Amino acid sequence: MVSETETVNENEERKLKFGLFLGCNITFNRPDVEQAMRKIFPALGVELDDLAGQSCCPTWGTMPSIDDVGWCAVAARNLCLGEEKGIDLMTACNTCYASLNEARHKMLKNPEIMNSVNEILAKIGRKYEGKAKCRHVTWVLYKDIGLEKLRESIKYTLDGLTIAVQPGCHFLWPSEVYPDREKDPFNPVVLRELCEALGAEAPYYTKLIDCCGIGALRSTDPGKSFALAKDKLECIKEELDADLIVAGCCSCMIQFDDVQDKLRKEGKINFSIPVLHYVQLLAICMGFDPQQVAGICVTPRDEIIKRILEGGKR
Amino acid sequence: MELAEEGVPPVINLTELAEKEKEEFEEKVSELIIEFGAENLMACMQCGACASICPLARTGFEWYNKKLIKAILVGMREELLDDMTPWACVACNRCTEICPRNVTPFEVMLAMRRLMVEDFALPTLTIEGLRSLYEHGHAVYMTGREARKKVGLPEKPPTTDSDEKALQELKTILKNTKLAELGLIPME
Amino acid sequence: MTAEDKPRIGVYICHCGENIAGAVDVEEVRKFAEKLPDVVVARDYLFMCSDPGQEIIKEDIRKGLVNRVVVAACTPRTHEPIFRKACEDAGLNKYYFEMANIRDQCSWAHWHEKEKATEKAKLLVAAAVAKARLLEPLEDRYVELNKDVMVLGGGIAGIFAALDLANAGFKVYLVEKSPSIGGNMAKLDKTFPTNDCSACILTPLMVEVANHPNVELITYAEVESVDGTVGNFKVKVRKKQTYVDWDKCTGCGACLNVCPPKARVPDEYNEGLSTRGAIYIAFPQAVPKKAVIDPDACIRCGGRWFGEEPRKTKDGKPILAPCEKVCPTGACSRDEPRDPNGELIELNVGSIIVATGYRVMDKKHFKEYAPDSPNVITALQMERLISATGPTEGKLIVPSDIPKYLEWKKKIEKGKEAELEARKPHVITFVSCVGSRDERYHTYCSKVCCMYMLKQAMLLKEKYPDLEIYISFIDVRTPGKDFDEYYMRCRKLGIKIIKGKIGGVQRLPDERLLVKGYDAELGRPVELISDIVVLATAMEPNMDLKELARKLGISVGAEGFLKERHTKLYPVDTMTEGIFICGCAQGPKDIPDSVAQAKAAAASAMSLLAPGKMKVEPLISEVDQEKCIGCGICENLCPYGAITLVEVNGSRKSKINETLCKGCGVCAAACPSKAITLHGFTYEQVLAQIRTIAAKKVVEV
Ligand SMILES: Cc1cc2nc3c(=O)[nH]c(=O)nc-3n(C[C@H](O)[C@H](O)[C@H](O)COP(=O)(O)OP(=O)(O)OC[C@H]3O[C@@H](n4cnc5c(N)ncnc54)[C@H](O)[C@@H]3O)c2cc1C
Ligand code: SF4
Ligand code: SF4
Ligand code: SF4
Ligand code: SF4
Repeated sequence: MVSETETVNENEERKLKFGLFLGCNITFNRPDVEQAMRKIFPALGVELDDLAGQSCCPTWGTMPSIDDVGWCAVAARNLCLGEEKGIDLMTACNTCYASLNEARHKMLKNPEIMNSVNEILAKIGRKYEGKAKCRHVTWVLYKDIGLEKLRESIKYTLDGLTIAVQPGCHFLWPSEVYPDREKDPFNPVVLRELCEALGAEAPYYTKLIDCCGIGALRSTDPGKSFALAKDKLECIKEELDADLIVAGCCSCMIQFDDVQDKLRKEGKINFSIPVLHYVQLLAICMGFDPQQVAGICVTPRDEIIKRILEGGKR
Repeated sequence: MELAEEGVPPVINLTELAEKEKEEFEEKVSELIIEFGAENLMACMQCGACASICPLARTGFEWYNKKLIKAILVGMREELLDDMTPWACVACNRCTEICPRNVTPFEVMLAMRRLMVEDFALPTLTIEGLRSLYEHGHAVYMTGREARKKVGLPEKPPTTDSDEKALQELKTILKNTKLAELGLIPME
Repeated sequence: MTAEDKPRIGVYICHCGENIAGAVDVEEVRKFAEKLPDVVVARDYLFMCSDPGQEIIKEDIRKGLVNRVVVAACTPRTHEPIFRKACEDAGLNKYYFEMANIRDQCSWAHWHEKEKATEKAKLLVAAAVAKARLLEPLEDRYVELNKDVMVLGGGIAGIFAALDLANAGFKVYLVEKSPSIGGNMAKLDKTFPTNDCSACILTPLMVEVANHPNVELITYAEVESVDGTVGNFKVKVRKKQTYVDWDKCTGCGACLNVCPPKARVPDEYNEGLSTRGAIYIAFPQAVPKKAVIDPDACIRCGGRWFGEEPRKTKDGKPILAPCEKVCPTGACSRDEPRDPNGELIELNVGSIIVATGYRVMDKKHFKEYAPDSPNVITALQMERLISATGPTEGKLIVPSDIPKYLEWKKKIEKGKEAELEARKPHVITFVSCVGSRDERYHTYCSKVCCMYMLKQAMLLKEKYPDLEIYISFIDVRTPGKDFDEYYMRCRKLGIKIIKGKIGGVQRLPDERLLVKGYDAELGRPVELISDIVVLATAMEPNMDLKELARKLGISVGAEGFLKERHTKLYPVDTMTEGIFICGCAQGPKDIPDSVAQAKAAAASAMSLLAPGKMKVEPLISEVDQEKCIGCGICENLCPYGAITLVEVNGSRKSKINETLCKGCGVCAAACPSKAITLHGFTYEQVLAQIRTIAAKKVVEV
């Protein structure tokens, strides 16, 4: 039996290598996040594999809403692409992270599901053993690469900036299914420490763990989704007066980026806080071209990027 | 015995519900929900912890986790099949994390979706997503590639989008799942 | 064998209502039994154990018709004593009785196979008859009982058990783990349902039990091992090293605040809301009021430990530790060495009462409730916060400001002027069922938290009417006399009830707390900002309870509390005779229930010990020393240590101690020379049974 936390990379000495799992949103909506990852990881000594032929994780509204076996089969095919090469997957999207790992958890826990999945996979000549899992970029940066190395690798620091972090629900819960776990999922610190390593302050705020409201909620009832996001944004504004929101999840990033624009236009908020994915922020600090690694947004980022590039040269 | 002329009657007639469950249906809703993956449904003690943090309950949806569970337990069916709350669940799983009875309320939401799917009670967007998954391998798919070009990436990502063999693999998989049995989308 | 002694067996078959007759054809079994060798009569009856049922047997004995009795009915575990007594009453040696269990092991097990069940019943009856033909008369034995009792645990339950026994003239050793008796009740402010002050009703009892001529109080001590059986337990008790000479210590308290800051640790009595020094007295009303030094906390001021030469100042004066210096009686002088292992003493007692209580769960487990916030506290901490003997002398401030309060108090005590800047709470929220009714921790209901939350809320609201108080309940559990009235009193006081479990608590920047709940009465999620959040954390078994149970040879239930012999009929007995349990060691309960159980346990111990001797069944093993070859196999096998090898006329022979032998028969089965007989289950008897079943007819051995 393989456990959730066991790793495929048996040989510690081996060069770090991950299959870059893109998912849909990053691929088509925010390819700057993909570009950011393609820049930072090789620079940090991590080899990336394209996982050629990967598909949607699958996201909640698709196969998970049909049945467990179908969900797990699609997820398992993606995981196979890594497992066949002896590597784990890595993602910057919380939905992919959760869907793949929840599916894996179901397969490991329930041999019946695993068997049915492998019967289906056999038709395309594949087999999933339960070894490969999906890692989160946040964890890879924190655990496999380490804060020290990040500190050394940056050209610009964020001294004087206050960041509101958004780890995102699927980074935390259900903690049982994830390969890496916060000590206290209700008081997550990993993303905060990662931001602090770049020189910023990333304090706790009351609604840090609350949901951003994207996903099914937004597609079902945008009004309610925006209300939820507004609640959190206001907390960020009032408690931290943050210069920047940094998300560990591409979807959360999109939500806060989009919603602010909409709320501002409706006159519901009068502030604008730029939003970045952590890998984008890191890429900027490492000196990569902001147009490439953070060029797509609705809530303007120019000023904050300028401030970073001008203010924080070390 | 309808006290209100229009809309939902204010009184939930439990006797009627129970009789209907026995006479009209082969299986109780609760049994179906358990079959569809919410194994611990019956352990729910209606403490409400899951509802206190559920984004759905907090934004005013009608049948959020705790209430949905109770409605299932008393055998409500039509009213639930008409309501779209389960399709708004963000799958955040904060409810799962704190439920003191290991009910995994999220799985109840998901099971409800699975029940609704059998009745074709699902949002158009969901059908679109499934179709897109089948046709492109991506639930979210865009034909425009300006964004990718803009950030200096090849137009075609290294996914099923650029790999016909991979897409065929995925299609084969999907054709061998319940999705094909349901006939929700055309699968050539 | 004389004609008079020749077995004349009566077989009596019970229908047990439908329980047996529903699956077994009783009449067929009866007819079959009638024809078995030595059987003179076979009868059946609806309920053999009823008065008229027993009378049938007695009548046949009295008339001289039968001199051996076989009853085919239910389980000997509950019913053998009843039928043995019936035989005895009718003038027959009660060991001329044998029972066949055709219910639990036959009709119940084969309910849907009537024919096979009947066949099996016949075989079981035949086997019993085969054994009955070989029965021998036996005489009951008596063992002397030691009338002293050890009570373990000096909480309210242990104190009451000890007092009741002592008042009845029994000598009691009251053994307590911590330096003082009192237990958890000593930490409570006031107690439901009458709201009388806990200390006011508890302290006099603590003093009474300590001063009772029949009670020997042994505190700061723990059980190391227990040997022997009912009536004659040998208990080794380790008195922990106090590092203070209790003969000299007067409890004056001079040493209490002399330890340097580095030697201060969280104060157990205040549930960690304040600190204590390495040398400390458990609490102001402690009994006995004696100081101890916590060797793990002590930093050994002056660099000297007990028995070491003191360092000298330049002018040759010895450097003493501050505690030593201030002590007016020299009780904590370090001149003499002290054994860190303390002292091992042995107690001989006839019975043991276990009253070791409970502990409350720590808040750290409940991550969803922001346990890192100082303003999230357990209910037991709340008791300390509102108690006049608590860290703030009962002044209500937010716990995050307790350090400020302590600073202020220090200044005032030194005669300085100072302004207290601690924040008073405006809103307090109680969270129910924290760790109780929860698959992840304990599935049971802790039973008292609903009531104590209401109590704390009521006390607070009565004292500070402006406080907003919210209590969340999954459901309100207040059964019993006066309890629901108590709940209504709270509602009328304007305490706000949230019917639903709190799902999350999040810290606000100003150390207040955002509480997220759900109110089933409103049918909506609710949210509020609170200054203090009180977690009603579960009552759980003490860490060492399992280990203690193992030493005592008693068992714990799946949830970890001590297990009673029978939930309804023997609620304070254990499976080990002579050991009784009471209070929260048996399961969560309030003070009235703990006291009631304590008194029940004391009464049970008294009725066991009062006669001074105890009848024991003669169903034990005996060695025929003529046959014994002295191999010693039996000695090692006996689980009760009842067998020793002794010298008899120059050769080694096995000898069995009658009082220790429990009649398990291991030795008899193992003896290669068949020198050991287990009375009531001799070779011949058991073989006759087995062979009968194997041959499906009664065979001669
Ligand atoms: C917050 C709170 C408020 C409460 N309020 C009320 C109330 O208002 N009214 C009410 O009726 N009840 C109340 N209770 C319940 C009450 O505390 C218990 O019913 C009562 O204290 C049980 O007494 P006990 O003697 O069984 O156990 P304890 O009080 O736990 O005493 C056990 C004693 O045994 C000792 N001990 C433990 N292990 C060993 C060992 N191995 N060897 C020797 N000694 C050992 C302990 O040190 C302790 O002194 C409250 C409980 C809590 C948590
Ligand atoms: S699902 Fe769990 S948390 Fe929700 S009401 Fe039921 S028991 Fe409570
Ligand atoms: S997983 Fe769904 S049901 Fe559970 S809390 Fe999140 S949104 Fe609500
Ligand atoms: S030596 Fe005395 S004063 Fe110093 S820490 Fe130890 S007990 Fe306290
Ligand atoms: S007594 Fe009340 S608060 Fe305590 S566990 Fe039982 S129901 Fe919950």
